[in-house]
This record gives sequence, C-alpha cells and structure tokens, in this order.
Amino acid sequence: MVIGKSVQRRDLPEKLTGNAKYTADIKLPGMLYGKILRSVYPFAHINSINSSKTLKLQGVVSMLTPFDVPTGYIALDMPILDTTVRFVGDEVAAVAATDEYIAQQAIELLDVNYSPLPFVLNVEDALKSNAPKIHETGNLIGSEPIVLIRGDVEEGFRNCDHIFEETFTTPAHSGSALEPRAVIAMWEDDFLTIWKCSRGVHSDRKAISSALCIDPNKVRVIGPHLGGGFGNKDESRLAAIVAILAYRAGRPVKIELSREEEFIAGRCRHSTSTHIKMGVSSAGIISAIQVETIMNTGAYLASGPGVIRRAGQAALYLYRCPNVRYDGYLVYTNRPSAGSYRALGAPQGHFALEVMADKIAHSLKIDPLDFRLMNHVDATGQPGIRVTPPSEIIDTQPVEGGIPFSSNGLRQCLDLGSTAIHWRNIKASNYSDTSVKKTGIGMSMFIYRGGPGGKAQARVKLNHDGTVQLITGLMDVGEGATTVLCQITANELSIPYDAVRATFADTYYTPNAPVTAGSSATFSTGLAVQRAAGLLKNSIISFVASNLDVLPSDLEMKDGYVYRGSSSNTKLSFSDIGYLTRETPLEINASLMPGSKDFIINSFGAHFARVEVDVTTGQVEIIQYIAAHDSGQILNPSLAVNQVEGGISQMLGFTLTEEMIIDDLTGGIVNPRYLEHKSPTILDIPPIEVIFADVLDPEGPFGAKALGELPSIGVAPAIVNAIHDAIGIWVHDLPASPNRILELLDNI
Amino acid sequence: MNRPVYTPISLDVNGRNYRIRVDHRWTLLRVLRDSLDLTGAKRGCDRGECGACTVIVDGKSVYACQILVMQVGKRKVCTIEGMGTVSNLHPIQRAFLENDGAQCGYCSPAFILATKALLDINVDPSEHQIKRALSGIICRCAAYSRIIESAKECIGTLDEKSKN
Repeated sequence: MVIGKSVQRRDLPEKLTGNAKYTADIKLPGMLYGKILRSVYPFAHINSINSSKTLKLQGVVSMLTPFDVPTGYIALDMPILDTTVRFVGDEVAAVAATDEYIAQQAIELLDVNYSPLPFVLNVEDALKSNAPKIHETGNLIGSEPIVLIRGDVEEGFRNCDHIFEETFTTPAHSGSALEPRAVIAMWEDDFLTIWKCSRGVHSDRKAISSALCIDPNKVRVIGPHLGGGFGNKDESRLAAIVAILAYRAGRPVKIELSREEEFIAGRCRHSTSTHIKMGVSSAGIISAIQVETIMNTGAYLASGPGVIRRAGQAALYLYRCPNVRYDGYLVYTNRPSAGSYRALGAPQGHFALEVMADKIAHSLKIDPLDFRLMNHVDATGQPGIRVTPPSEIIDTQPVEGGIPFSSNGLRQCLDLGSTAIHWRNIKASNYSDTSVKKTGIGMSMFIYRGGPGGKAQARVKLNHDGTVQLITGLMDVGEGATTVLCQITANELSIPYDAVRATFADTYYTPNAPVTAGSSATFSTGLAVQRAAGLLKNSIISFVASNLDVLPSDLEMKDGYVYRGSSSNTKLSFSDIGYLTRETPLEINASLMPGSKDFIINSFGAHFARVEVDVTTGQVEIIQYIAAHDSGQILNPSLAVNQVEGGISQMLGFTLTEEMIIDDLTGGIVNPRYLEHKSPTILDIPPIEVIFADVLDPEGPFGAKALGELPSIGVAPAIVNAIHDAIGIWVHDLPASPNRILELLDNI
Repeated sequence: MNRPVYTPISLDVNGRNYRIRVDHRWTLLRVLRDSLDLTGAKRGCDRGECGACTVIVDGKSVYACQILVMQVGKRKVCTIEGMGTVSNLHPIQRAFLENDGAQCGYCSPAFILATKALLDINVDPSEHQIKRALSGIICRCAAYSRIIESAKECIGTLDEKSKN
C-alpha cells in the first residue's frame, strides 16, 4: 500500500537542484520583453494616448492600447483593455521591445490624456445613491444582496433568553506568491502557445481563446511549475495582452510582473465588514444566527460571487441551529480587484462567528470549549427538511437542513485538540501573571467544502516499458497534487510508486480539467484517477487472460506482475505486457461528476492557540499551536502536515500583521512590498502540532476529503480568542497588530 | 535612461570561468539568469526583500539582485547549479528532500544555499542561529517548519568534501 505513506514529493529533486522550470525561467529564440503601463488614477476616462515618442524609440516592436485593442472580453466586466480605468494600477497599455529597459522606457514615453473621475474606495460610500458608478450595472453586484435562509430567525430571536450583536472587520491582504506572474506567448502561423503562471490550463485556454475570439483548438496553454498561487493566478488578462503583443510583433513575447505589480494587480483577499446577531438560551443553546456581510470586491468582480457566498457558510452550518439568515453584499469600489485567495471568504466568516461564539460563552460564563461541544453540527447535519430533489447531487455548501454528512469528525477534532493542549487543566489553573507578558489560550472550529469540485477527468496508459502514464489536465499549484494522484494510481494497480509517470497541465496532451480550487484536487481528480486506474487494471487482466487463454478470474495483479493463480509461477510483468501491447497501448479515460446525492461532503477542524501578549508593546507571540483536522484519510501524512503548518503560518499574517493599505487621497496602495505588507518570516513561526482525526469518508478516494484551504480558516479566531483570554480585550478588527492592541488597552 | 555600456568581464561561477560582455546596469541576478542560463536563482522582488535570488559570494549568502555584476570582480559565486544534481544530491539537498522542506519550491535554492553558507562557518548552529541565518528569505507557502527541520538535519552530516 503506497496510500497513507509519506512518499517524497514528486518534483522535489528538480526543485532542490534549480532544474525545475517556472514560467519566467523559459526563454525562446527571438523573444521580446513586454511592460504594462498602469493607471495613476483610481477612476478615469482615457481620452487619448500619444505614442509618437514610444514608436520612435529603437527596439520597440509592438504596442497595444485601448484604442487599437480587439473587442473581446476577459470577463463580463473586463475587456482586454478599456478606455475607462478603475483602480490605481489598472492596465492602460502595453509595449514589447528587444529588452526590458527599452520596454520600460517605452511605456514611460506614452503620453496618456486622462479625465479623472470622482472615485470611491469604501463600500459605505459606494452604496450611496449618488456614488460614482464603477460599472454601468451599479456598485452593488446583482443589485441586491444574496439572501440565504433556513427556518425563521425572527422566531428564533423571540424564543431565546439572550441576544448578542457585534460587528467585525477584516482588511484586504495579498497572497503575493513568491513567484511574480509571468506569461510567454508564441504564435506559429495561427496557432498560439502560452506558458503562464496558472491554476487551471484548460480554463485559461477557454478564457484566452474566447477573449481573442479564436478557436480553442488553436490555443495551447502550458502551466510550468508554479511558484505559489494560493487561489490566485486564475486570471488571463495578462495572457491576452501578451498574446496580442506577440501576434503584432511576429515574435514571442514575455512579460514578468514586478513585485509591486504583483501586489497591485495580483488579487487580494476581499475586505469585509460582518454584522452578526445570535440568539441563545440561558443554558447556552443557539436558537438563531443572523449574519450580514458587506464585501469589497474592488474594481472587478473576479471570483467575488463565490467568495461572498462562502463567507456565509460558517453561519449557516458550523453550529446546529434551526433558524439562520445570511445576507451578503458584494460591492464594487475603485480599489485593486480582490479575487480568489485560500478558502475564499471562509476565514472572514469564521473570524466573525468564532470570536462571537467566545464572546457569548464568556458572557454566559460557559467554557468556550463546552459552548462548542453543546452546539457544533454533528453527523446528522442541520435540523430541517431536505429541499434538493433525491436525484440531485447535494451542494457542498448547503443551506437546507435534513441532510446528513458523509462523515463528520468535528467532535473528534475538538476532543483531540483540547486534550493535546491540556485545555481543561490550563483553564482550571487560574493563571494570572503579574509580569508585562500575559498568557492566554483560545480556540476556534471550522467547516469547509469536502472536495467535490467540477467534472473531473483522468487518463491512464500502460507504456511500452511497463510504466504507467497518468495524464490529467490538473495544475499542481505546489501543494503536491501530482504526488498524491500518482500514489492513487500506483495503489490501484499494485505497482511501485516510481513506476507511475505524470503528465499534467498542458492542454495539448491532457483531457479537460477544472481549476485547482476549492481544495478539490485529491478528492475530485483523485476519484477520476482511481476509476481510470481501476479500469486499466481490468483491461490489463483481460489482455493477459486472452493471451494465456485463461479466465480473468484466474489472474491476480500484485507488485507489478499479473500472476496466474496466487501460488503459480506463471506470471507476466508490466514490462512484458507493455511490450506485447506496444502497437495498441492499453489506455483508459475516466470522467465523473464528484459528489453525493445522499450526503453533504465537508471537512472540519479545530485550532487551539496559546499566546503571550506584551502589554507594553502590544506584541502577540504564539507559544503553542495545535491544529486538529478531519480531512478523512490522509493519503500522504508528510505532505498533509506541511500543508497544515504552511496554511497556519501564512495566515498568521492575516491575523497579526498584514494589511493592504490604500491612500484615501490618491487611491494608490501605500505598501505594495513584502516588508511593509508584513508577510510572516521564519522568525514568526510558532511550534505547531498537527493532529488528524481518524475518519474514513465513504465518498472520497481511499476515504480522503479536502485539506488544502482548511488550515487557513481557524487561525485568526483562535488567536484573537486567546488574546482576550490573556488581556481581557476583544479584537473586532484585524489585523491584531501591536498598534491595535495598545489602542484597545488604552481604551479599557 | 542611459545608453547601455557593455564591458567584457570574467566571472567565477561554480568554479567555472565565464567571459561575458555585460551592461553596467545589470545585476548579478540578471547575468546569472539571462546571460549564463543559471535560472535556479529566482527573481521574487528585485529589491532585496524576499531572498529568492540568494547565492553565495565568497562564502557569504547574499541577494544577487542587490549586487551589480560589475561589483563582483574576482569573487567566487556559488549558485544552486553548483550543488548536487538530481541523481547525486548534495547532503543539504537530500535533507530538504527527506524532510519535505518545500512546497512550490520557488524559494528552495535560496534556503539551501543560505543553509550551506551557515554550516560552512558554523558546524553546530542552534535552532535560533539557523532561523536567523535563514530569516532573509521569504517562503510564502510558509513551509518554514519543514525548512527548519531540513536545516537541522544537516548538522553533523557534512564532510569536508561537501563544504566549499
């Protein structure tokens, strides 16, 4: 069994030796270098662009402006280039030249005539009736909030003993992967090849071919190794621009973004304001939850609708509650566009709900752990009646009650995590220190999609040398999907892990695949891979059966051989079979729509933090962190632990330091740099202990469920609750920076 | 912007002598990546913040984006390409492999070289010294715990051959 083993990350030797090629490492003969001119205004109309000086510059080969751009759209609200710019940093024009110094000089020589427009940066102003409209459709997306209701919250509030209300805010912050976005485009006659930082080559191909109005079959998108994405790098405006520059130049063109551009034009996490109201009995049982979230999507919609929806899922489903209402407002402003960033909305929604839970527990003098043990959703799901017809797949973010989970290890996570951190002992020890450093303990729990994503496909093929080729269109975004999917293949065929070869992320060679999103790769593509490998096993057995003239049931596959009977010496190796089938290789395609008609498939977790807060500096230090996760069976423990530790460490930034600061007067980002954005470094990392619940999900491949995004969800509330335990203040607005803590301490 | 001025120089990288013509504006990072095709040093910020371009110059780990190639002179440059190969990993690379000391891998060459620069001058560093020595490099996947484990595992495993 190679499943459940910590086999080494597949592409690591290449990466550790510098051999792995990322997009920016690729150089083509005759390649030009491009630069983008970006808007200096948060909202403006471009009247004209005088390019006479640029075109006179030696070395300038091609140019693109909104006045000569093809008419296609990248998204409904985004043409390839537009005569209206909507944030400081929005793309205005692009130039390709023989080197990047000339390209830089060339864009600086473009003389743009702008008419600046009144602009709006925050959602309150953007929702006023006289606010400038960022797009013709109005600033409130869809003209109304999304409203999700189960039961009757008013009824729930009437029947409770206490009502608690509070508002929480979270800032925009940037994923800013270490690898800045890069794209290379090359035309051979009318065939376009794109190398790009991607998290889904097939969806990129669709977007690029549709924007450029060309046949998708004339476009090939290749995703080289990705230097971090975290949900980002899913857009294709840059690729369309580079493709046009290359077409006009008749030569390949590369554009690499600078770090500043990456902060400005890469997509940040949506800032939110969440008002939450909960009705609770004196014994601590929740009877109503009402949440309203207003989310700033910036200048463009991007994945906003998915994010605003998911921000409500904690309120709807984490606590067992018959009466829930969620209203989500998604609002355009003239800020840089927000987009997909690890767990889309769930960290914001859970921050509000899980700090609120602690406030309620504190107020009712109930231990926060007990409050959660009394109220968390269990395997039976939510009260209510199923609405989804029996023949339909259950959504992974349901609203309705009456549907059980395929598995639910939340209780186990609460038990394992609280035991590991000695919750009861610490709580009973009545720690009150007199020094300037106060210690405290806090926790959170969370729920997230369990892994079903879009239609998944996989192809497996027996090579003539006896190795097995796994072919999927999936993009490994650095999390290790390739490794785990190869493990599944090897396991299903009883062959060594090293006998599986992988072809991923190239539209030319691979079947269609969804983007690597929603922590779905292991679950969804994993199921397709498992099915394809299982069918290949059957077809190999059938081939050998007819070859040896025996019944398939007389054959057994193990250790890279097909045996005739378990005790027999008659056997054929995979290389024998590969050689025999070299003319017509055995190959299987499998596709499936992942999900269940009977169960909700969700993953869970609980986080526990011990902190030390220095009341003279406001500095918060994490001294112990326990992460207990239910992601079903863990297919590769080492990779899974790395993923959890990384997700927590990354989100220490969201919790304590990171914030994208926008200047009110100019609309520009003040801190588009790592040092000022304050991303965590190796010195900021606490000791983290990762615990996996013993859960075998009946729907997932080998019992597995989603993992990748979950670790990022519970961090902020666990730490903020621990800060309260230490110094008695509630942080309602992230980040819990030293300044904020000192300010709150001053106001006591 | 100034017109380019090209000057012939010689550069010692991974024990090999390169004779090239360089533009005075070029950084060591640019020359490694574009002139010598040694793309293991990554460009993450080009302003001395992220450390993805870390290489070793005369035994010290430095940001290649912060040195003009004209400043390098006769000093010896070591890049990740001067360490082990896929089939014959350097002990530090092997430790990173066995401890899963990476995710996306974009920062891996930098962390490996910074670990080497540390261990070459301090055979038995404390965990704190390791963290200090590696603190100039950002890993956005935040695989820091695994990176620390990898670096710790190297202590005492390097023989004289594996050094400089």
